[in-house]
Amino acid sequence: MKRAEPRSHTKRSTRHLNDPAHNLQIDSAERDRRVLDLYEQLLEIEQRLIPTGLHVFGRAAGADDCADLLYMIASFDRPEAGVRALPDLVAEGLSLGSYEVLSAESRQSDARLRAREYVEMLAREAITRLLRDGADEAAAWLEQAAHVERAESRPVFVLLERVRTQLRRNQELDQFVRALRGEYIEPGPGADLVQNPSVLPTGRNTHAVNPYNVPSDSAYRRAEPLVKQLLARHHAEHGRFPAAMALVLWGLDNIKTQGEGVAQALWLLGVRPVRDRMNRVTDVEPIPLEQLQRPRIDVVLTVSGIFRDLFGATMNLLDRAVRAVAQLNEPPELNYVRRNISAQMTEARCTFDEAALRVFSNAPGNYGTNVNFMVLDSQWEHDGALADLFITRKCFAYGRGRDGVTLEGREARASLGRALAVVEATYQNIDSFEIGITDVDHYFEYLGGISKAVEQRAQTRPAIYLSDALAREAKVRTLDETIRLETRTKTLNPKWYEGMLRHGFRGVAEIESHVTNTFGWSATTGAVDDWVYDEVARTFVFDEAMLERLSQLNPHSARTLVGRLLEAEGRGFWTTDESLIARLREILNELEDQIEGVA
Amino acid sequence: MNITVFYVGSSLLAPLKQAEREIEQRYALGLRVTAYNFGAALDERAWMDVERDLAAAEIVFIIHVTDGENAARLLPLLARYETRQRTVVVFNCMPELMRRTRMGRLRFGRELAHEAEQATNEKTNGAHASRARRLVGRIGAWMGESARRGAGNHAQYLRYVERMPALLRFVPSAGRLRDLKHYLYLFCYFLQPTPANIRAMLLYALKHYAAEEKITRARIECAPPETMPIVGIYHPDAPALFQSFAAYRKWHDRRARAQSLDALAPERTIGLLLLRPQIVSGARAAYDGLIRAIEAEGLNVLPAISTFMDNREACAQFFIEEDQRSGRKSGASKAMGEAGNARESFNDDALPKRQMKARVSQVVSLTGFSFVGGPAMNDSTAAVEFLSELNVPFRSAVSLDVQTIEAWRESWTGLNPVQAGMQIAIPEIDGATEPFVYGGMSEQTTAPVPLVDRCRRIARRLKRWHRLQTAPRADLRLALVAFCFPPNKGNIGTAADLDVFPSIYAALERLRAEGYTVELPASADELRARLLGGNSDQFAATTHVAHRMTVDEYRRLCPYVSEIEAEWGAAPGAINSFGGTLLIQGLQLGNVFVGVQPTFGYEGDPMRLLMARSGAPHHGFAALYTFIKKVFCVDAVVHVGTHGALEFMPGKQVGLSAQCWPDRLIGELPHVYLYSVNNPSEGTIARRRSYAELISYLTPPVADAGLYRDLAALKELLLAYRQTTDERERALLYESIIAQGDALHLDTGQVGI
Repeated sequence: MKRAEPRSHTKRSTRHLNDPAHNLQIDSAERDRRVLDLYEQLLEIEQRLIPTGLHVFGRAAGADDCADLLYMIASFDRPEAGVRALPDLVAEGLSLGSYEVLSAESRQSDARLRAREYVEMLAREAITRLLRDGADEAAAWLEQAAHVERAESRPVFVLLERVRTQLRRNQELDQFVRALRGEYIEPGPGADLVQNPSVLPTGRNTHAVNPYNVPSDSAYRRAEPLVKQLLARHHAEHGRFPAAMALVLWGLDNIKTQGEGVAQALWLLGVRPVRDRMNRVTDVEPIPLEQLQRPRIDVVLTVSGIFRDLFGATMNLLDRAVRAVAQLNEPPELNYVRRNISAQMTEARCTFDEAALRVFSNAPGNYGTNVNFMVLDSQWEHDGALADLFITRKCFAYGRGRDGVTLEGREARASLGRALAVVEATYQNIDSFEIGITDVDHYFEYLGGISKAVEQRAQTRPAIYLSDALAREAKVRTLDETIRLETRTKTLNPKWYEGMLRHGFRGVAEIESHVTNTFGWSATTGAVDDWVYDEVARTFVFDEAMLERLSQLNPHSARTLVGRLLEAEGRGFWTTDESLIARLREILNELEDQIEGVA
Repeated sequence: MNITVFYVGSSLLAPLKQAEREIEQRYALGLRVTAYNFGAALDERAWMDVERDLAAAEIVFIIHVTDGENAARLLPLLARYETRQRTVVVFNCMPELMRRTRMGRLRFGRELAHEAEQATNEKTNGAHASRARRLVGRIGAWMGESARRGAGNHAQYLRYVERMPALLRFVPSAGRLRDLKHYLYLFCYFLQPTPANIRAMLLYALKHYAAEEKITRARIECAPPETMPIVGIYHPDAPALFQSFAAYRKWHDRRARAQSLDALAPERTIGLLLLRPQIVSGARAAYDGLIRAIEAEGLNVLPAISTFMDNREACAQFFIEEDQRSGRKSGASKAMGEAGNARESFNDDALPKRQMKARVSQVVSLTGFSFVGGPAMNDSTAAVEFLSELNVPFRSAVSLDVQTIEAWRESWTGLNPVQAGMQIAIPEIDGATEPFVYGGMSEQTTAPVPLVDRCRRIARRLKRWHRLQTAPRADLRLALVAFCFPPNKGNIGTAADLDVFPSIYAALERLRAEGYTVELPASADELRARLLGGNSDQFAATTHVAHRMTVDEYRRLCPYVSEIEAEWGAAPGAINSFGGTLLIQGLQLGNVFVGVQPTFGYEGDPMRLLMARSGAPHHGFAALYTFIKKVFCVDAVVHVGTHGALEFMPGKQVGLSAQCWPDRLIGELPHVYLYSVNNPSEGTIARRRSYAELISYLTPPVADAGLYRDLAALKELLLAYRQTTDERERALLYESIIAQGDALHLDTGQVGI
């Protein structure tokens, strides 16, 4: 195994520990501000919903421990079910104004923070009462405690009660044997339970969505503030808008959100979707620059093979949008698409059609970047290999050419390379509580892979963002922030790993898989801090009792975990004491001996 | 003489071409009919042809065009050649096109509504004439209205068809209503697109609107529109359509006796839903191909003509015993009357009510549209309600109507985005499974033809499902296949959010309780121990080896070996092999095989990883499914957990051919897939590419992450800080807070000061 190339950026270092004077220079207001800011960071960790175990097919969920889930479900407005968010109802009932505003202000004011905590406490208490006494009682209590009219709160409680009842009944095994008997299996939507409680009952034949309804009106509406936030953040930190962004589009989130990712791309370009007479989204129209109030951002869309298959019509729409924007007669400083394309036409002496390619995916009939396989199987020797692999797998252009002929995945390596060379930021949506960036290898293979490809082609590491649609107000985070949050709430959190370990063998595999996926982020982006590996080693390997448990339950995965830590150090992703590494090597040997012995 | 027709679908081309030939033979007008299928966006070359033909056409028909892109390009062309064509006849199109109708003085839109109303009020002689005028006036006003607001409803028109021609006789061929009368006459021909009617439609248009001398000289005769029943039962061997199930059964069973075949019996009858225009126009070859393939498997067919907008009517009339249709609350009875109402959005029906007595055991829709709603909308709530009560598997097979068979064969995409969107994604929402292509338009033909191998595969899969429905459970054999990624012992049972061994165990327990022959281990742990242990070390395998397949056996049973060898070298290859044999990893537990699917085979093979395209699964992968199908001979395969590799093997995206690997691997096996409810995207790939029926499983329990260890301690400090007002204490606490925050690598705001 060879060492990786030195990374082109510096990691966040541990600061000021040796500088006792650093906090004497600030006044008490600034001190209060920092305390509230830290408090907010803790709340973000504390209130994040995480899986606390695995599902067993056919087994009903424990009805008692679903209070946090119900609280989260109750935190969203659901106009389609006539349900308003419970914290909003409570805040309004207490004449505290909007909960959203309250939350925002609680970061600056202790009084507002107290009010917010009071609102949350009452809302949670109402759910406790719902679980104990039922919807009517809960509504009655909330009327007394927070002056929320029963008519307003009842729909929320009825919804929550229904969710709880459905969780208690599980018909998966019934449906399984019905399917084998050749009966009709009802279709059902596929989503996160919080996002869409109508995924219950499970045991149904999950379906996708009609691609011609993408993006839906509400997806397009929800995408606007997110794109604003994204661009504002980039502008604040880099002093300008990104000349181009590389977006990863998956079927996963776009099905569940009816195309929010697609809508974000359209907003970046500054166009709106247009429906035809059959109510299908088949065209776009530009939003005038006066209205947009910012430049049109160039986008490079790397879409998963699955998105390509499920959203063929949408790929044509995106391609059409890019071409439409490129042909607008606007000043180049306000239309980055036009600017980049004409620059590429001049520099590479290529046609408009070549320079305008922006929708890329796998070769037809193929899926995935293979970056995950290369990383998991430790088959790369230098950074360039991962970047090249990503481009090799993803350089097939889709959409329709000027002659109207559909491109069914034409290899366009040079076009993708040129498009990526001007990219300054990469981006992907996370949409689910269960599938986070360290839960599966697909996030690092895609967002990590494209970021590595940009780094190579643009000669500089792009800013990497993720949107997090898990909270009420979608939030944009950098990759570094997201990895820290995932590590703290899941990998290192006893609530998470003890939940996994209750499943024994499979639980150890889950823990190992989180560490390996974290390693995948190091390999593709270098965005993992040293302390993450330090803490992983301390929690799972250097704690003798824990190591003993892991190696009893699943020695194979325990060995992989230790091996992965050593590989992280060997590749330069982790700097730590030589003595710790020596100890890890010993432990690895012991585990291997144990497995041999077990065998 | 030139007529140009723009249409959508596959039923019109053949009758148009036939009409062109017959008219030429009889009248020798020098007639040339050109036709364009507007079902998918045309490319530039086709548009050049369109423009050339438009420039030459005296009469233009535009039928069923609702696609924004094609229409947007056609509209300016129509305007450009306005002076050239005196006559443009538009049926069932979007309003922008409807308004282009130009026949003599006839213009659609506001004027039409107004004029029709005027005519209705004119005094006429005789009750018939007055009624006729009123009716025509009403239809005219209504059409004018739809031309302004939106496309009309096909089913609504059909109600007028039978009596309209008779009434139209009473409308004078001169005066205000002359052109409207002609329009409606043409419309009646079109609504019953029999070859004779399509010929008459062209002749009628020529007679009244191509005022050339040779037309006048030709003395054209137009037969009145012939009518066909709106619904009915079709069979290629029958002399005519059947109006009732009883009539069909009588014919069917007499034929069956004559040919020593089985009489009609619900448990082996496949209900087919057919489109009316294909039947009426004689474009039936693809239907016939599928029907014969199904009958060749010893199954019966019950092919019902559906009314296109709402399949419930045909199903209720033909697929359900009459005494079962009267229940007041049943979805079927509702279908006979009003349409189902939208229900509340959180459907709590744990298990559907099963109260219908069906005459069919499986339904295959060949309409290519949603079960309720037709092409423009879908009421899947109503569809699911009806189908739940019918409670038989529902499939939707697709005819290549807007692309050719040749293009499909060539294409890696398979179905184009238009068909994939309308004819796959939407029926899936109704619960349709196994999206097969069964036929389509060929470059060589003017009507759809069957894809023989696809029809056979559909038929054999129906036969397999029939066996699942009818065979004694104790005789049925199953494979439960789990995953292992990346491949090592620690990962056996890889699945998003699912604890796989207890899940398989629960399934085995239930199967045994249902009467399947299962040898049940004592516990999930024992199941795992037996699978991981066993003879695995003997063969350096990840799991116990249930079968060692020799290369000879593999070559004999797997028809794709030479193709796989081209990619992976000589069998058995390096993966899942030992001592020259292929290892089938898994356990046999009575009639159930619990196996482990190999991975793509990239491990330790960087060169393969670097390829942009892969061509085939490896020998070990193919061997597992060969074993399942042909050695263990299962009746169904169940994949456990999200997700495996089979459905991502190379091939078309959707609408697979016999060259596509997922199709080859799954073959004829019914496929049930336990799949996370949280992953509709990859799940849909499994549905489309490996014909899986998903049984969704719940996501894991969730809770707030909470705080732990030093994070929890820090929160205590922060709370103490917030609670105290003592400045000195706050300063001290602050110091601890910052130290603690830094130690936890939180952002303490120290950067940049």
